[in-house]
Amino acid sequence: MKRQKWERDLTSHRRFSRVEPYLYVLPFALGILAFTLYPVVNVVFMSFKENYSHLTRGFTEWGVGNYELVLNDKKFVQAIGNTLNYVLLVVPISTSIAIVVAYLLNQKLRFSALFQTAYFLPMVTSVTAVGLAWRLMYNEKFGIINYLLSWFGIDPIGWLSKAQYSMAALVIFGVWNILPFTIILLLSGLQNIDPQHYVAARVDGAKSLRIFFRITVPLLLPTIFLVLIINTISSFKVFSELYPLFKGLPGPLYNLYTVVYYIRYAMVESRKYGIAAAAAIVLFLFIFAFTMVQLFVQRKWVNRR
Amino acid sequence: MKRIGRKNVARFFVYFALAAGAVVMVFPFFWMFSSAFKTSTEINKFPPQWLPGSLSLANFKIAFEKAPFARYFLNSVVVMASSVAVTAFTTILGAFAFSRLKFPGRDMLFSLLLSMMMIPFEMLVITNYSTIVDIGLWDKLPALILPFTSSIFYMYILRNFFQSVPDSLYYSARVDGAGNWRYLWKIMVPMARPSLVTIVLLNALASWNSFLWPMYVISSTDNRTLPWGLQVFTTEAGFNPELLMAASTVVVLPMIALFLFARKSIVRGVARGGLKG
Amino acid sequence: MRVTLDHLTKRFGDVVAVSDFSTELGHGELIALLGPSGCGKSTILNMLAGIVPATSGKILFDGEDATDMPPEKRGIGLVFQNYALYPHMTVLQNICFPLEVQRVPKAERLQRAEEIAKLVHVEGLLKRRPAELSGGQQQRVAIARALVKNPRLLLLDEPLSNLDARLRLEMREEIRRIQQRTGVTTIFVTHDQEEAMSISDRIVLMKAGALQQSGVPQALYHDPKNRFVADFLGNPPICNLPGVVRGGAFVLEDGSASVALPMFGGVAEGARVSLALRAESAFLDPDGPLACEVKSVYQMGKEEMAYLRFGTVEFRAYIDAENGLKAGDRVHIALKSRGVFVFDAETGARLR
Repeated sequence: MKRQKWERDLTSHRRFSRVEPYLYVLPFALGILAFTLYPVVNVVFMSFKENYSHLTRGFTEWGVGNYELVLNDKKFVQAIGNTLNYVLLVVPISTSIAIVVAYLLNQKLRFSALFQTAYFLPMVTSVTAVGLAWRLMYNEKFGIINYLLSWFGIDPIGWLSKAQYSMAALVIFGVWNILPFTIILLLSGLQNIDPQHYVAARVDGAKSLRIFFRITVPLLLPTIFLVLIINTISSFKVFSELYPLFKGLPGPLYNLYTVVYYIRYAMVESRKYGIAAAAAIVLFLFIFAFTMVQLFVQRKWVNRR
Repeated sequence: MKRIGRKNVARFFVYFALAAGAVVMVFPFFWMFSSAFKTSTEINKFPPQWLPGSLSLANFKIAFEKAPFARYFLNSVVVMASSVAVTAFTTILGAFAFSRLKFPGRDMLFSLLLSMMMIPFEMLVITNYSTIVDIGLWDKLPALILPFTSSIFYMYILRNFFQSVPDSLYYSARVDGAGNWRYLWKIMVPMARPSLVTIVLLNALASWNSFLWPMYVISSTDNRTLPWGLQVFTTEAGFNPELLMAASTVVVLPMIALFLFARKSIVRGVARGGLKG
Repeated sequence: MRVTLDHLTKRFGDVVAVSDFSTELGHGELIALLGPSGCGKSTILNMLAGIVPATSGKILFDGEDATDMPPEKRGIGLVFQNYALYPHMTVLQNICFPLEVQRVPKAERLQRAEEIAKLVHVEGLLKRRPAELSGGQQQRVAIARALVKNPRLLLLDEPLSNLDARLRLEMREEIRRIQQRTGVTTIFVTHDQEEAMSISDRIVLMKAGALQQSGVPQALYHDPKNRFVADFLGNPPICNLPGVVRGGAFVLEDGSASVALPMFGGVAEGARVSLALRAESAFLDPDGPLACEVKSVYQMGKEEMAYLRFGTVEFRAYIDAENGLKAGDRVHIALKSRGVFVFDAETGARLR
């Protein structure tokens, strides 16, 4: 009997059993091949086809022309800037708030089910629908937010109409949206910390605040890093949040133009698929680089201790 | 005595802070629901009116007349149900193959799949869009289902569970004469109910709320699903935000209901998903 | 059903789990596949079941070559060490499962299941789920499930290992009772020699993948083929005294003592041997050939267990308590004809 690296188990003289595993994998494999693997390869190739016209599938030559165009495009640079701006605001803010909330939720409380429901609700609802509600709340004249601010003597703010406030409006919405997921992860991380650490610390006489900073946070660090990475990745792709707030436009004066918008316009408006592909890949590389940096920092941080 | 007092004060602050935060989180929903019942005049008042004057369903009726929300709703339901069913089928079969069946390169292939989980959809959109057009599914509902039938993430969850089932159960069933198919559906799948429930729920949520993809591939009114249909409605609703809020409520309510019903499963599934990331 | 194993070998990569195993097992017997951990007995069981394909060699069921037969065609019932009950099914559903697979009509299914359930005494538990059963009950259900399809061979993998001591004795008897009632050829794997000795019709003893001896328990006990078999069976374990045969006498290695017995005649001069004595083979005899000193004595009721020093080595002996031995006594020991063996020091083969 021929020896094979993988041992077939169960004796069977039927040929079917050799083919059988592949039949089970088939439906899944088809989906992956057609809609994940093929697109990835296709996009990579497409990005190198200069002057690619999707109608004719024709292009002039292989080269990095698309990349040159993209990286030199002022609009793209602006898009990257805006996107980075968004990421660097949303991620730290949401993470900090989430840590506190997760910590509080982790205390043994009554009504925890109620609290959890309240905090996790945004996660299950359509961004579009809640975005429209926020749009209503942000309304300059009739919005409830400006009304509440007026109690503190603040003049009405043109959240969605003035360029300088639009980023803030987006960020607030973005944080609100991403908070549930972040809290869930951090809560899970907190619950994985062995309570014996706390007992030992209390026996040593430490008080709550010290315990929090010297024990909880360090033990929570892996989860925190995880959260930072995941949220960074998803924030880079910001798009659906913009749509309902600004009626499909990237900001009141196109000032919230993001990378995904750039890709979309290249695809849908100018039909320059090659450019879109190149931009998509640049985005991916950006995300990848950011993630690598974060992983690197994480490793160094862990080693330092 | 002082110490007891301090502890109570601390507890009070915790509850207060959490409650305040909870209010902030829930507020947009409150505003949405409240606005959905307001009349056109009530909603444009300043200072804003907190609660609607009456709970009339007028806005809902009008919204459903102005845009085919019933149709959108139906489409969303059909797409969600089909997506969940098809994905569950491929996931179950795939997870079984990768856990219980043996074939060359199995483990290596699986690692490869895991690494592919990282690929962002924004990269795939371009090609998937043109693929859908080429197959002739543009502006048709199956286009919303097809690209998502194979989720590596869900398969990973299920495979994990399948691996925890002892070999002896499998051998027992085989000795009794059961083939792989029967073993999978009669033994493995019933045992995997919690994991399957999680997958189904997460899948349902993702499908119902999906906006980006339908925006790209669906154009005709009849085939829209709720989120995109809602967005399009903003032009028709024009100066009547109360209609918009009514429509939004319709979009949001089913998922909230689902959440209230299965909160623990959903939260568990999300936590698992994040940890895998 | 007669089971024949013909030069059966199993290799996992470079590791030989079973080597050149040949034996024949008769119809309707309760057979113990016995051996220390890792000796390959479970592997043989799995090969009999068809779960693990053999590397070479043959398996014959009633003369028919079953080596490459898939498990479902072999007509065997299999009970795993952890019982492998389907957790989401009731006891009744578990037992009915094999019949369901065979598409037996529902009425007949239920009838046969209930019959078997009565046989193994679980008829009152039919509506429960496995999680609600005790270890012993789960095992009975597993046995029922294996028996319900009227197998021609029943295989049990370490059936008693997961049970506590008291339950072990009870279930041991139960297995024997069920086997005798049904008459199904049954092979069970165990590492416990007492278990094997007490209930089986035949013992197949293995070590490191190779067959050591196969026969009725008495045969292995009184007539071991080699030192391993003698060592493995019996409680307390047999005592081995290393020495050399010179001039028809057994001399300890360091020469501190010797004993001449007719059994040594015929053994090659200078052969290095091991003289093995079972505790029950020695008795006090003023004319006995072994001069020993009593080192310690343990009371066991009607007998005493004495540790006797012979030269520089010690061995155990059961002595009648009436003799009232004390440490330091000098006694003479004679040996019965049974329970005394001579083994080659290197190969372990039995010489006398």
